[in-house]
Amino acid sequence: MDSTLPDRRVLLVEDEMMVAGMLERMLTGLGYAVVGPAIAVDEAIEMIDDGGIDVAVLDINLDGQMSYPVADELTNRGIPFVFATGYGGGDLPNAYEGCSILKKPFRRSGLGDALAGVLNGHGSIA
Amino acid sequence: MPKSGVKSMGQKAAENHIAAVREAGGPFVTAADRTRMPMLFSDPNLPGNPIIYANESFLTLTGYDREEVLGQSSDFLMGPETDPDARTQIEASFSGGFYDGHAEIRYYRKNRSTFWAVVFNGPVLDARGDVTHHFVSFLDVTGRREEERHLRLLLNELNHRTQNTLATVQAIALQTLHGVADDSAVELFESRILALSEAHRLLGKENWEGAGLREVITSILEPFGLNDGRHDRFSLDGENVRLRPKTALTFAMVFQELATNAAKYGALINGTGHVHIAWHVELGAQGRLQLHWRESGGPPVRPPSHKGFGSQLIERGLAKELKGEVSLDYGAAGVACHIDMPLPREDRRRESYG
Repeated sequence: MDSTLPDRRVLLVEDEMMVAGMLERMLTGLGYAVVGPAIAVDEAIEMIDDGGIDVAVLDINLDGQMSYPVADELTNRGIPFVFATGYGGGDLPNAYEGCSILKKPFRRSGLGDALAGVLNGHGSIA
Repeated sequence: MPKSGVKSMGQKAAENHIAAVREAGGPFVTAADRTRMPMLFSDPNLPGNPIIYANESFLTLTGYDREEVLGQSSDFLMGPETDPDARTQIEASFSGGFYDGHAEIRYYRKNRSTFWAVVFNGPVLDARGDVTHHFVSFLDVTGRREEERHLRLLLNELNHRTQNTLATVQAIALQTLHGVADDSAVELFESRILALSEAHRLLGKENWEGAGLREVITSILEPFGLNDGRHDRFSLDGENVRLRPKTALTFAMVFQELATNAAKYGALINGTGHVHIAWHVELGAQGRLQLHWRESGGPPVRPPSHKGFGSQLIERGLAKELKGEVSLDYGAAGVACHIDMPLPREDRRRESYG
């Protein structure tokens, strides 16, 4: 099965520039168009406001600021997303239980599967 | 709740009674007054088993004045967030018997803030064996619980930073090597970083106290198709022997190399090959772990023309770091690796994980 969905626009929220660079390359390689990277919550929300986002990859801890408001904004607009984090996942607040989590570090294939998963999940709801 | 104003029958009786207790108790009452352990006595022969004595430590811990405590039932410190099961057990113990459970129970101070204590209670008997009083003491564990919570947070933060650092190392490598090194070298590097990350994750989950051998093997072989349901590529036979952190890390890297080699040249290169991994611990004064990795069904293998990082890591890592003996045979049937290493008693605490 082809897990990539070309031409989808993915919002990248990541404050660590080297990691963001790697993710951009991975996403481009998977056939996504990258929006961002946004390094803070307000910047990410502005990019969502600009429209045209199909899916998002969110680092949870943006230099001490949690990206949950971005997750809420995406949820309100029905845009699926994946959390990418070095945390174990067990410490996610209850409100985000059941969200897709990609544990850092990960391979490109893991990123591709996670994005395809939330996009398909979203498709079945919409 | 403490009653103000009108004194209850129980409280009056308690106050009358306390003078008698002080007189009869002599030096023991002084000791109870001054000990750092919060204590109560109640009188089960009065209606409602009221508290008839509370020491200074109890008053300091709870913030109540003595007259607010005397006459109360001894469960008056419990509240909405007190575990109902612990409450039931303690209440049952007042009708005879002791309670010396290790449960940490949430109690309420006068100002409604809470503290955690381990409680002991039991009857005091007279010469005829009749219960004259109930004794209750509290070990305040609030500070210890707070420290533990703080340590857990710190450890969690450290685990998180380790994983982020490994992601940064991965990013630096991928971007530095892009277009310079060939893809297979980059892929190899990435796989090794991910194996290291996986081992750190397992150890982090267990507060860096150790990890199970079966879990180490499972997590490393997962990307190679273990548990993917389509192929029966692997069989594992052995207990989840507990490994100390250094041993777990070395094993993670060793299995990563063995599996990578199998995927490139050995049993995992085609759809029919199989890897059997079996291990057991030989008990004795000097316990030893015997582990066999046996490949079959792959193409014929021959020894590598030069020793790369992988075989170096397997032979040197195990031999030097873990004081083990390793034999790595490239037979026509497939690669066979035998590891024989000492596993001291403290390393092999066997635990069952769900």
